[in-house]
Amino acid sequence: MAADVHKKKSWEVPNGSLAPGDGQHTERSESPTPGLAQGTEPGMEHSSPRREARGGKSSSSCGLGPPQPCGRGRWAHSSPAGPAPTGCCGMGRGGRSPLHPSPSMGDTRTDAAWPVVPGAGQEGAMFVHTRSYEDLTSPEDGAAAARSPEERRGEPAEQSSMEQISKDFSELSTQLTGMALDLEEEMRPGKEGKLEPSPQTARRDSVLSGKEEEDVTMDAWRLHRKHVFVLSEAGKPVYSRYGSEEALSSTMGVMMALVSFLEAEKNAIRSIHADGYKVVFVRRSPLVLVAVARTRQSEQEIAHELLYIYYQILSLLTWTQLNHIFQQKQNYDLRRLLAGSERITDNLLDLMAHDPSFLMGAVRCLPLAASVRDAVSSSLQQAKAKSLVFSILLSGNQLVSLVRKKDQFLHPIDLHLLFNLISSSSSFREGEAWTPICLPKFNSSGFFHAHISYLEQEMDLCLLLVSTDREDFFTVSDCKRRFQERLRRRGVQHALQEALRTPFYSVAQVGIPDLRHFIYKSKSSGLFTSPEIEAPYVQEEEKERLLGLYQYLHSRAHNSSRPLKNIYFTGPRENLLAWVTNAFELYVCYSPLGTKAGAINAVNKLMKWIRKEEDRLFILTPQTY
Amino acid sequence: MVSGGCRPQAQDGGGGGGRPGEAARSDPSQFLHLQPQARAQRGREKKILFYHPNEVEKNEKIRNVGLCEAIVQFTRTFSPTKPAKSLHTQKNRQFFHEPEENFWMVMVVRNPIIEKHKDGKPVYEYQEEELLDKVYSSVLQQCYSMYKLFNGTFLRAMEDGGVKVLKERLEKFFHRYLQTLHLQSCDLLDVFCGISFFPLDKMTYLKIQSFINRMEESLNIVKYTAFLYNDQLIWSGLEQDDMRILYKYLTTSLFPRHMEPELAGRDSPIRAEMPGNLQHYGRFLTGPLNLNDPDTKCRFPKIFVNTDDTYEELHLIVYKAMSAAVCFMIDASIPPTLEFCRKLDSIVGPQLTVLASDICEQYNINKRISGAEKEPQFKFIYFNHMNLAEKSTIHMRKTPSVSLASVHPDLMKILGDINSDFSRVDEDEEIIVKAMSDYWVVGKKSDQRELYVILNQKNVNLIEVNEEVKKLCATQFNNIFFLD
Repeated sequence: MAADVHKKKSWEVPNGSLAPGDGQHTERSESPTPGLAQGTEPGMEHSSPRREARGGKSSSSCGLGPPQPCGRGRWAHSSPAGPAPTGCCGMGRGGRSPLHPSPSMGDTRTDAAWPVVPGAGQEGAMFVHTRSYEDLTSPEDGAAAARSPEERRGEPAEQSSMEQISKDFSELSTQLTGMALDLEEEMRPGKEGKLEPSPQTARRDSVLSGKEEEDVTMDAWRLHRKHVFVLSEAGKPVYSRYGSEEALSSTMGVMMALVSFLEAEKNAIRSIHADGYKVVFVRRSPLVLVAVARTRQSEQEIAHELLYIYYQILSLLTWTQLNHIFQQKQNYDLRRLLAGSERITDNLLDLMAHDPSFLMGAVRCLPLAASVRDAVSSSLQQAKAKSLVFSILLSGNQLVSLVRKKDQFLHPIDLHLLFNLISSSSSFREGEAWTPICLPKFNSSGFFHAHISYLEQEMDLCLLLVSTDREDFFTVSDCKRRFQERLRRRGVQHALQEALRTPFYSVAQVGIPDLRHFIYKSKSSGLFTSPEIEAPYVQEEEKERLLGLYQYLHSRAHNSSRPLKNIYFTGPRENLLAWVTNAFELYVCYSPLGTKAGAINAVNKLMKWIRKEEDRLFILTPQTY
Repeated sequence: MVSGGCRPQAQDGGGGGGRPGEAARSDPSQFLHLQPQARAQRGREKKILFYHPNEVEKNEKIRNVGLCEAIVQFTRTFSPTKPAKSLHTQKNRQFFHEPEENFWMVMVVRNPIIEKHKDGKPVYEYQEEELLDKVYSSVLQQCYSMYKLFNGTFLRAMEDGGVKVLKERLEKFFHRYLQTLHLQSCDLLDVFCGISFFPLDKMTYLKIQSFINRMEESLNIVKYTAFLYNDQLIWSGLEQDDMRILYKYLTTSLFPRHMEPELAGRDSPIRAEMPGNLQHYGRFLTGPLNLNDPDTKCRFPKIFVNTDDTYEELHLIVYKAMSAAVCFMIDASIPPTLEFCRKLDSIVGPQLTVLASDICEQYNINKRISGAEKEPQFKFIYFNHMNLAEKSTIHMRKTPSVSLASVHPDLMKILGDINSDFSRVDEDEEIIVKAMSDYWVVGKKSDQRELYVILNQKNVNLIEVNEEVKKLCATQFNNIFFLD
């Protein structure tokens, strides 16, 4: 049972069954596009990835997850020769970074029993009506004179004890302000030398991260639209989107100090707000994720993106392993284990900035004639193997077909992580890859093994076969061969190629003049459809602005304490409409010239059009093995 | 160290202001100033100029102040010139304001708690999305403005007598002022802190104008004058920002305190003391209570205006006859004598009485013309950033210092959400939303004006909502262009 796995706290994932995730799949609804990628709103649920294991039913289905040796196998961007499940990488011990002592929050309270200062109350001053605060008295006969002599005598005593406390406190606050001050100093040009990491570590870092160092003292660095930092509870850098982790280690130390300061008071930091930007903290022990965003997104949306980053890290390590590492060694430098994966995280962040899938918590399908999709799906379904759990065919970031084991459901977040993995590397094009991967929403304690390959060199069609058995490369590879064979036999390859030539449809097909763009999400299936973003959203920043408007409407519609059913927004450059029901969500962008009556008509027309086209835009009959 | 009293009463609702000395089980709201300047050598606690509640343990005060400093410093990493304005935590929200260089004000407001039952045990859960940032940061800014109105700037106090004087002034002012804050009933109107203007025809307006001119002529030491009717402003000689805060003081503190004698009419105890004065209804709201008593003290509150440039210190004389109130402000260097007060009473009293009844009459005529008021299908709030004009049919200012909204708090918060969305961009926008309760809420921003409407009908569609709002704009704001 999955729940037991966590308790063992072992490096090994036991040879047990990976029970499916959330148990949400029990509540399926009768939608036209039922349960393919199941799940409601993507995981804003709290903390523990520990899951309820589903009752005995599923345990018989598969024996997932062979013992996993330490670390995860490196990506096997293999030669066509095939499998290369390499051993562990970079899990060596030692090599602790000398840079940062962990900020421990010392107990600053010296003594609970402070002498009560006599006369410190204010009764003497209460001679004026409490509701009046204007000063009716001249300074001479004011409240100052009314203070009792005791009160004055009390002051020196108070001060001396205060001195003591301030001393104690200064130790603690060095971590808070002190670090910030150090950092400021560091930021000042000409003084970098002081806190520069030793050349050795710096070199190691640059080798590891493989991205060019960005000067964190420059305005350009400050003005990035969204910074993302990941750090361990010891305040050690794990990831930074811009600038090297080394140069930012003191900033991250301050972040951790802030987090632990509030935790020491049984409180939790959520976010900091300033003019033009917000800082959002997400705590997922043993990691802390922080974003500094200049976007219009809500705090919740930014936190949601940080959770994606967290899941991304889990997908490489598993929750079990991540916890084990930090239990063994609190100030472990996680970067050695994640070396080479920065690119995947970078890609995920870039993807989230312009792909609405993440905002919608849903997956987009490649528009495809139902007959062709059915042929593809049944070919996939027939090319099964005992250890296969999911067979996924995708193009770009759109889903072509997904076949799953009975009773096993793939959460949109897991699917997004897979999409991101594939889109972040071109090397998958070069052959068959066999890589361990954790699907954190499905089961955060064990690895699957994914067979990743492109069907043909020129075609943007990627096949992903998720297996439970590490040793099954050849079997799974054979599944691919069988799938391709069936595809050929059914003669749908041509039609598929044709469809790939136009992976997006134009909004003009809907035939509504003022309609510029829309997003329609079917809640029960976790799928959404959306046309290509066209003029006037041509420039990259215009596209992001449009997504920003959708984010804005989405955050208002889904506000946790004040959700909304309908929103109609009129701006100078476009009008937008949001409509959220139990079954679907619709976001529509109109030209600014249209009227509200026109907008309502357009929605009715649009809904009719989607219904008419649904078998092309969605996967209506998902297959199981 | 001294203390005042203020707690947001998100939970127990009842009662007036917070009681000092009452330790709350969960975090009380704290209110503190600090001054990060003299750091190292002086010790941290010296920087705390005022802290409420004072009962808080010393080192906890120091820790809390340290956290604020750390947050502000930390955000300078990302924006050296625009540091943090608020901090959200699970339990509370903290608001930071630097009204004068190196002087910081911080206000901590606790998130509301709801009690839930889990396995028979009560579990407390913080509602983290209930407080609106803009509302409370505006409240904090107004705290400073109000302090400054009656005490001048922090810096001036430091120059006058160092930290000691400043601490005394802060203590004296905030101890009382904080008790008048009703944090749980703050809403969008606190963001605007606007001025309600009295609608008037030209003729009456000219009458008032000439009245003010005559008064300033006869009472030549008067520097500025302001005229209000029915708690609404008609004329002011002060700068907008000074008038805004003075208006808030008058309408939320001074006038409500003098409401009872007003309602009691001429039999009020104050009038009874002045039997010889039957030809008019004028009386002082600030200053002498009884002009016939030669020992009465002519003490008026001092206010500070134009603190950015000329820095003027003034005596505030508020004189009222029926619903009309006039504020005369005279230079603080000229102490108002009893003679002056008597002269003012004898000149202003009769004329203001006549004027007040004129305005009342005119107002009733206008009301009759505009037709009998039916129960309108909507309630609205309007605010104009240019002249600070504010109008609300949502609020009933019946109780002193608390403005009660007549709609569900969730709808008020949606208005607040819309307002904060509007302020993020400088463009004209309109937004119509349907809440879960099926009420429609409309926000419009055009030029410097903002209009918020809550519709009372539930079963209407977007187009009908639009029609209603158009009608409203046509009747109430016919000369204002709103983006359609």
